[in-house]
Amino acid sequence: MRLHSLFCISFLLLTAACGAAAEVSLPQPGHYVEDYSNVIDQDYERSLNGILQEVEQKTGAQVIVLTILTTEGIPIEQYAIELAENWQLGQKGKDNGLLFMLATQDRRYRFEVGYGLEPYITDIYCGRLGREVLVPYLKKGRFGQGIYETGLRIAQRIASESGVQLSGMPKLQQVPQQRRGTPCCGVLFPFLLFFLIIATRGRILFWMLPFMILGNRGMFSSGGSFGGGSFGGGFGSFGGGGGGGFGGGGAGGSW
Amino acid sequence: MKAYGKGWVTLIIVLVIIVVLGLGIFRWYISGYNNAVRVDEGAKTAWSNVDTALQRRLDLVPNLVETVKGYATHEKELFENIAQARTKYFQADTRGKQIEASNELGGFLSRLLMLQESYPDLKANQNFLALQDSLEGTENRIAVARTRYNEAAKALNSYRREFFGSFFCTRAGVTEVEYFEATEAAKTEVPKVEFGE
Repeated sequence: MRLHSLFCISFLLLTAACGAAAEVSLPQPGHYVEDYSNVIDQDYERSLNGILQEVEQKTGAQVIVLTILTTEGIPIEQYAIELAENWQLGQKGKDNGLLFMLATQDRRYRFEVGYGLEPYITDIYCGRLGREVLVPYLKKGRFGQGIYETGLRIAQRIASESGVQLSGMPKLQQVPQQRRGTPCCGVLFPFLLFFLIIATRGRILFWMLPFMILGNRGMFSSGGSFGGGSFGGGFGSFGGGGGGGFGGGGAGGSW
Repeated sequence: MKAYGKGWVTLIIVLVIIVVLGLGIFRWYISGYNNAVRVDEGAKTAWSNVDTALQRRLDLVPNLVETVKGYATHEKELFENIAQARTKYFQADTRGKQIEASNELGGFLSRLLMLQESYPDLKANQNFLALQDSLEGTENRIAVARTRYNEAAKALNSYRREFFGSFFCTRAGVTEVEYFEATEAAKTEVPKVEFGE
């Protein structure tokens, strides 16, 4: 009995030691968007997944979006590159893989860019994308939209550099700016409209009818709502990679 | 069968054994030799990646310094140190000296980036932010290349110290290589923040 418990303890210690020294390992991604932290709304996830699938089909570039809770003390730069190499993102010989990951509890993000994409997904580009698109959304707690908009821009850039059109590409949203000063007209607009309707006894609605029908990003879709852009995409699965040439290019940051 | 006699059979068996042994030794020799060449090439390739990343950093430095100079006018000493470390790297004729100079430069560069804390205007400068992204990316590339180089160097050095490995390394003219270790000075050199005066 004592021997048995001793064995158990030593076994536990051994596994604990292994756990502490654990290599970065996550199962091979099944989809282009792997949301382990569960912060991306399903619509965004599905749409982005579809776009990234199209990117791979048309350009061969493999872009994986990953959210995890924590890197367990490993610097995210190291975590990202080891994971990207383990997963062998990108095509063999082209090394056109990209891992965009967030550790939500650590509040850190990282773009890890394969050799093949470095010429146009540069460090500077990644740095700006993170600072100017991703972080403003993250600061407002809109993770899903932030990741979605960031992912779309990466997809767009890869597609346009490869000279292809993405059919499922929705319109990019304006990034929320943190402006000071006058309250946004979005707040005043309904009042103004109401006033105008009263003042013109409803005739303004008639004049605005064409805009309401035509403009899917028109006056009524201010704020963060989606004006008309329907979600395509789907849960297309990721077939695995064969590349894996990563040299530490990209950028990262925190929020 | 009997016509050949017992002697012939033994002779043939012995010959076959000798040939098999000879082939085995030959193959062992070839693979040992090839392994020496392989670890040597591995370390060379890994070093050339380190060199590329370091070169990239050196190319960035003048631009970065120019940008920062416009804001931080009281940091002449730091700018001079950076310029000196850069020259030192270019003059280095051995790998060890290159490593030393680049460690020195790395320490100064991290201080340069720290300046944005004392000169807030820097943080608003798009050019500076872009250069900072480049530098951070480059530093990360250096770190990755350095780790890989050290792995390759370890493979070479340990093979060189093995019993037969040393024999093959000598034959193939493979010599021990230096590890690229970040010096303690570079690691502990925390910028001093001075208040008041």
